[in-house]
Amino acid sequence: MLRIGVIGTGAIAGVHLSAWHQMPGVELVGYYDLAKEAAERAAQRYGGRVFGTLDALLAAVDLVDICTPGTAHKANVLAAAAAGRAIICEKPLARHLADAVEMVECCERRGVPLFPAQVVRFFPMYKRVKQAIDAGSLGKPVVYRSARCGSFPRPGRDFSAPYYADFNQSGGVVLDVAVHDIDFARWCCGDVERVFARGLTFSGRPFQDHALITLRFVSGAIGHIEASWSHPRTTFTTRVEVAGEHGLAEWDSQDRPPLLVELYDEAQGYRRSGSNPTAAVDEPYYAELAHFVEVVEGRAAPLVTARDGLEAVRVALAAIESMRSGKPVAMQEFGG
Amino acid sequence: MNNQTIRVGFLGVAHMHSVSYAQNLLAMAGVEVVGMWDRSPELAEKWASRLAVPHFASAEALLAAGLDAAVVCSENVYHRSLVEQAAGRVGAILCEKPIATTVADARAMIQRCADTQTRLQIAFPVRFAPAVVELKQQLDAGLLGEVWTVNCTNHGSMPGGWFVDPTLAGGGAVLDHTVHVIDVLRWLWGVEVTEVYAEIGDSLLHPGLGIDDAGLLSFTLSNGIYGTLDTSWSRPKSYLIWGDVKLEILGERGAVHADTLHQYITLASDASGRTAWAGFGSDMDRGLMVDFVDMVRSGREPSISGADGLAALAVALAAYASSASGQPVQVEKMV
Repeated sequence: MLRIGVIGTGAIAGVHLSAWHQMPGVELVGYYDLAKEAAERAAQRYGGRVFGTLDALLAAVDLVDICTPGTAHKANVLAAAAAGRAIICEKPLARHLADAVEMVECCERRGVPLFPAQVVRFFPMYKRVKQAIDAGSLGKPVVYRSARCGSFPRPGRDFSAPYYADFNQSGGVVLDVAVHDIDFARWCCGDVERVFARGLTFSGRPFQDHALITLRFVSGAIGHIEASWSHPRTTFTTRVEVAGEHGLAEWDSQDRPPLLVELYDEAQGYRRSGSNPTAAVDEPYYAELAHFVEVVEGRAAPLVTARDGLEAVRVALAAIESMRSGKPVAMQEFGG
Repeated sequence: MNNQTIRVGFLGVAHMHSVSYAQNLLAMAGVEVVGMWDRSPELAEKWASRLAVPHFASAEALLAAGLDAAVVCSENVYHRSLVEQAAGRVGAILCEKPIATTVADARAMIQRCADTQTRLQIAFPVRFAPAVVELKQQLDAGLLGEVWTVNCTNHGSMPGGWFVDPTLAGGGAVLDHTVHVIDVLRWLWGVEVTEVYAEIGDSLLHPGLGIDDAGLLSFTLSNGIYGTLDTSWSRPKSYLIWGDVKLEILGERGAVHADTLHQYITLASDASGRTAWAGFGSDMDRGLMVDFVDMVRSGREPSISGADGLAALAVALAAYASSASGQPVQVEKMV
């Protein structure tokens, strides 16, 4: 019975906790959070106890799941590594490359598994695209496109909003959002050679952020990623397509979902909503965490490594640097 | 038998669902696929060797190996004899749909299983499609208020093989595709189909086929809902996907468009020369097999009973009777 401890019990922790709570063969031992009342809410809802110190939590568990804001990832990873605990760390691994390198090297040195939670690899439609590539249905993948577009994390809506709005903490939409697609693009097309990007990150517009990122891969493939916090409120769309030498795979979240509901009443007017449900074990966060458990227990090889998480951060930071400088960034020389 | 390995054998593998069922069983902890038998030894050997499980020379030999449960995936007309042969020698049977090709056969199967304390489950996997599960939750929560009507399709590609041989299948597109959707409707609202009118096409899409390949059913349910169902094998091989299971439900507050299996990426490949949809949805057969194994292990009653199988079959048979007479048919008169 693998004992799980969760560090940070804010927004993303909710989906992790729901998954841990349902998973057989693990014990959700407890929580540590600077905001103790958030940890208490988690304990109330999902069981387990609230630890008063990080060390107390580390002493009681086998695996830690770090769901804090990115700025707190490093200290928690280093502490968990020192305690010899397996680590799942939310993306992005770190705000700065030197920190991410230190985290990854520390875990490697101590022989502690570090899993970056690059969850897009566990979304069924993205997995299906990767499967088509691996099956040779497309031939060599050569033109990659994907997009992840929503509205700005609303200020005042929850306590983490100021974090997103502060570029120095979050790294903006590129490090927080595009890092998902950068990782998936690397999974499909391999390492990135060169990055060029334009966007709103340095445009001085409060609560707006957007980027169009152009990639050249070492394989010769080219790629395009859009990440947005400037799309209309209430919308969130994703899409991906990979063109190969003799085939094409594509998916768009605006495609028809299996359940589409249209309602009307005088008070609320017309409402339309879609749902794309999965079985509980295929829910992406559940599948991701269950996979990491299998790896820790020696039953599977990791689908995503600490080095993958590090490289996704490095490419994202290169895109930010390109937006700042107006120049392409060669990955071989880029050191943050 | 909570911690014991569940031993499952396949009596008939002529229905291709048997392969998916077996793959799901093989992926489950605490389940052993003891082997496969089919009246075609070549077919049993082919699937058994592909799945790396033993194949048996007779159904008797497979039963004699000692089974907790049997899965019957033979041609439709042999469901009865195989269920009767296994009843009393296994604790539970999963029988592929339709339960049988006649009401008399279905009744005999249900009776034999009852007499021998054998739990009989019918394989209706669509109940385990996540979109169908969520649809039921939402309707139960009153999403649409009073429901008036449901417009359904279960389209498919013409399957060929024994499916188009009336002596083995007992019916074509109408029998093959009525039972899935009717089972879902019965389950969604806890109702029976009361009356059926049908227009059926024999060899309509595939001239010379020799069996019905198209059908439109118009029906009423015992809760007053009226609806239609298109069972046609109307998807050509060149289409994007094999078929669909759609329910468009209209009520006083609005509409639900449930294209229940529509979870696809689009995949164009010069290697295959076509553009097709490739599924990423959860495997509903896995849900069916997890439920079945849980039933075998726990000793509880099946979630989908022989009576459910008979009720769905009766609607398909009513459709054929209506098409023959040109008049609406009361379903209760079929049973």
